[in-house]
Amino acid sequence: MTETVAPPRPVVVEEGKPTKGWIGENVPRKEDKRLLQGEGVFFDDIKRHEMGYVHFVRSPYAHARIKSVDVSKALELQGVYGTLTGDEVAILTDPFFELSVPPGAHMKDYALAVGKVRHAGEPVAAVVASTRELARDAAELIEVEYEPLEPLVDARRAQDEGAPILHDEAGSNIVWDGTFDWGDFEGAVAEADQVVRIKELHFDRFSSTPLECSGCLVEYNRGTGQWTMYCNHQMPGVGAIWMAPALRVGLDKLRFVTQDIGGAFGNKICLHPYFVACCLLARKLNRAIQWTEWRTDQHTANAHGNERWFQDVEVPVKADGTLLGFKVKAIDDCGAFPRYEPLGCIIWAQVTPGCYRWRNIRVDFTQVTTNKSPVSPNRGYSRMQHLWLTERIIDIVAKELGLDPVEVRKKNYVKHDEFPYETPNGCIYDSGDYARCLDIALELVGYDRLEERRQDAKSRGKLLGFGIGSTLDSGTNNFGQSMILNPELQFSGNNEVATVKLDIFGEIVVTLGTVPQGQGHETTAAQVVADILGCSPDDVNVRPGHDTYWNSHAGFSGTYASQFAVTGLGAVKGATDMLAGEMRKLASVVFGCSPDDIELTEGQARIKGNPEAALPFMALGAILNANNAGLPEDLDVTLNCRYVYRPPFEKPDVERKYGNLTLTYATQIHTCIVEVDPETGVYEIVDYAAVDDCGKRIHPQIVEGQVHGATAQALGAATHESFTYDGDGNLLTPNFYDYHVPHALDMPPMKNGSIESESPFTPLGAKGMGEGGGAGIHAVCAALQDATGKLVTSSCNPYHRVWQLLHSGAGEVEVTNR
Amino acid sequence: MKVEGEREFRAPRATVWEVLNDPSRMAKAMPGVESFDVQDDKHWRAHVKIPLGLGGLRMSVDFEKTEQREPEFAKLHAKGNGVGAIMNMDTSFHLSEAGSGTHMKWEAEVHVLGPVASMGQRVLQPIVNQQVSSVLNALDQQVQEASALSHPN
Repeated sequence: MTETVAPPRPVVVEEGKPTKGWIGENVPRKEDKRLLQGEGVFFDDIKRHEMGYVHFVRSPYAHARIKSVDVSKALELQGVYGTLTGDEVAILTDPFFELSVPPGAHMKDYALAVGKVRHAGEPVAAVVASTRELARDAAELIEVEYEPLEPLVDARRAQDEGAPILHDEAGSNIVWDGTFDWGDFEGAVAEADQVVRIKELHFDRFSSTPLECSGCLVEYNRGTGQWTMYCNHQMPGVGAIWMAPALRVGLDKLRFVTQDIGGAFGNKICLHPYFVACCLLARKLNRAIQWTEWRTDQHTANAHGNERWFQDVEVPVKADGTLLGFKVKAIDDCGAFPRYEPLGCIIWAQVTPGCYRWRNIRVDFTQVTTNKSPVSPNRGYSRMQHLWLTERIIDIVAKELGLDPVEVRKKNYVKHDEFPYETPNGCIYDSGDYARCLDIALELVGYDRLEERRQDAKSRGKLLGFGIGSTLDSGTNNFGQSMILNPELQFSGNNEVATVKLDIFGEIVVTLGTVPQGQGHETTAAQVVADILGCSPDDVNVRPGHDTYWNSHAGFSGTYASQFAVTGLGAVKGATDMLAGEMRKLASVVFGCSPDDIELTEGQARIKGNPEAALPFMALGAILNANNAGLPEDLDVTLNCRYVYRPPFEKPDVERKYGNLTLTYATQIHTCIVEVDPETGVYEIVDYAAVDDCGKRIHPQIVEGQVHGATAQALGAATHESFTYDGDGNLLTPNFYDYHVPHALDMPPMKNGSIESESPFTPLGAKGMGEGGGAGIHAVCAALQDATGKLVTSSCNPYHRVWQLLHSGAGEVEVTNR
Repeated sequence: MKVEGEREFRAPRATVWEVLNDPSRMAKAMPGVESFDVQDDKHWRAHVKIPLGLGGLRMSVDFEKTEQREPEFAKLHAKGNGVGAIMNMDTSFHLSEAGSGTHMKWEAEVHVLGPVASMGQRVLQPIVNQQVSSVLNALDQQVQEASALSHPN
């Protein structure tokens, strides 16, 4: 079910109908042939003569002082090339810079633990040997003596008097705290007929699992002092900004090379501690070295998604079901080190009101460290937690006040004719039609027959529940939002780069500033280029992967934050427009006419209306590159064009915490039907629909792939995936046995729908849409609440928790009539 | 993880006390002990192999007797180090006379850290139960032997 909504009048597009040009077509993905034939090149495929393999010695303690590290026995083992300890790291590097203001700014983070360990699995030392297995064996010979300290595993205790302090230098566990206050919350309470109070909600810790674990092969060039990292870092520009100052070198001494990456959902952004350790080892040992993360280590100590507590939620509501706002105290648990944080303390504000029109919002936000794995921007970063809160509020209010969850949504959604819509904190929702998406999602699961299905389930002894998840994927960051957290940070706006050239044989060659990880950048970039130059995507060679030495890139280059369709393709479009202009200009010189008389079509530059007067692209390439004598001196044509796309952002108002934080807002409305066995708590998702609106879809099949993947990760997070710690700080779910990622067979029958509300702010009308899985987490929670009749207060609800829910009280919620 | 239990021995309290406080006899009661060194009457060290997965988990365990009230109570602290695991255990026992035999009430608080702990109680609990059962049976055997030596007929 697909529609295009182009305000003001919706136009229905039939599935499969050819569109004009290549954009919108499901052309075969350029990447698939090599990937399906096993010819993709991942970092671990790259080997060097006499290279060494790294294994990290990790802390068994969640919190302890390091009394001594003895590597002597490991060094005696034949085949061991060398080791690295925290003491060496402390001498050879500076701590990574912190983004926060004090006390978070005072926290010290190194490549290996220095003096203290702060989470189970933290790297304490590293050993390099001739084989991966030998390095692992040698690691067992490294003796570390610890003095255990009391661990802090509950973020709610982090500010208690006497709570263990992780970072003595900071003197506090607080990374950042602040209050966000928009509208007039007290006025809203005064205006309300009822106020709903919810004591506590909890968004669980989980992480979107990539197929490929992290790693790198590092070579050090002693002559130039430069490191080359064949790796899977998904945001090398930012990685270099962290690493170079720590290593006390310039940015250009760090070369990141990627080709294929087996998924990266934010968990390959904060790899800099490992990479710095590898760089030190490559230099120390004068040998290429490779680190390939073990899966258990990926689970234990790479990067989790942020865990968040929401306390003392208050929601003023009018008698007619109009929601006026909400107030909440949020405690975010970022684990042992801030790293990318405290950016999560503002990223949620991109979607402050969720899909709703409420205008009076107060959020008291505190982020703290705990003795758990550090976090990084997990798919849906920070918005997912906040949108889960807004959706929980809607369904809890509906339950308590006896409102219909569908109607209360439709009443409070931002309306189609209100776009572009300015949120209470100054973000501009570009376009959308949430109510229409919901109607499609309802239709897909046969909502009109819900009661009939409920009775049928009942007759089989099952409890049937229905739930909705309405979320937004805010894409294309304005990095200026970081200044709201720390005015000293000189980051704002965004940019991305592409180059497009026409070579001597008429080949069109594109390089990207982005770092693809499976999103099909080569394909979609070729579609955009082909439409502008009047050729086939097959004629466009988009270089795979990224090499910071040879691909043109900018400060914010990378693949993250739902933005390639805007920034990446915006840069491709800009560069190709420039090249098209140059090709017309060159052809006009050859033909002696105006550039305006030249059209580019069918792989040729020709005079409009005169197909006989045509120059193949090959001729244009050859003339400029190899046969250019006699061309006019002032002919300003290189056929090698670089374009930097800059979204139209302003710096936010730091005092008011106000401004446009992202450029686009894709919509996801999911509906879910579950059947619960009341005896055991076991449940099954028996019907599921995902409706997506990401504006103009460049390649609908790739969009659907993203929707499927994001939904699978959301359903995993909603049903089983939880990083659970015991009181000692041991991770109890460090492997696929205990941390169950959905298999194909776990996935429900999924129905998809889409509409296209083109963004008025982007070069192609497209929006970023890679991180829209959050709707699924909530849809399951809402369906479980409907089925059990009990308040669902956690984002992850495995069977045992549903059983507990069935046997629990009503839940801590209170309604005050005014 | 806390484990506790009770046990009856068909031997006088003094005999049971003697066995429980004799490191060499206790070494025989513990499964998987590969070597045992007595440092003094309050400290001893055992190298044990716990049957966990392929090949077992080798651990060096230091014992320290931290409290004793002969013939009824003793408390021990044990700290074990192995590849992938650190174990801390505080254990104590109370002995009381039960007719001609002895009643023992014991408890142990076991903390396991590291990847082994991460396997969760699903794996660890059955192993601990198995170990405890094995220790108690072996202890019974040691008490019987000691009793036979003290009272040959």
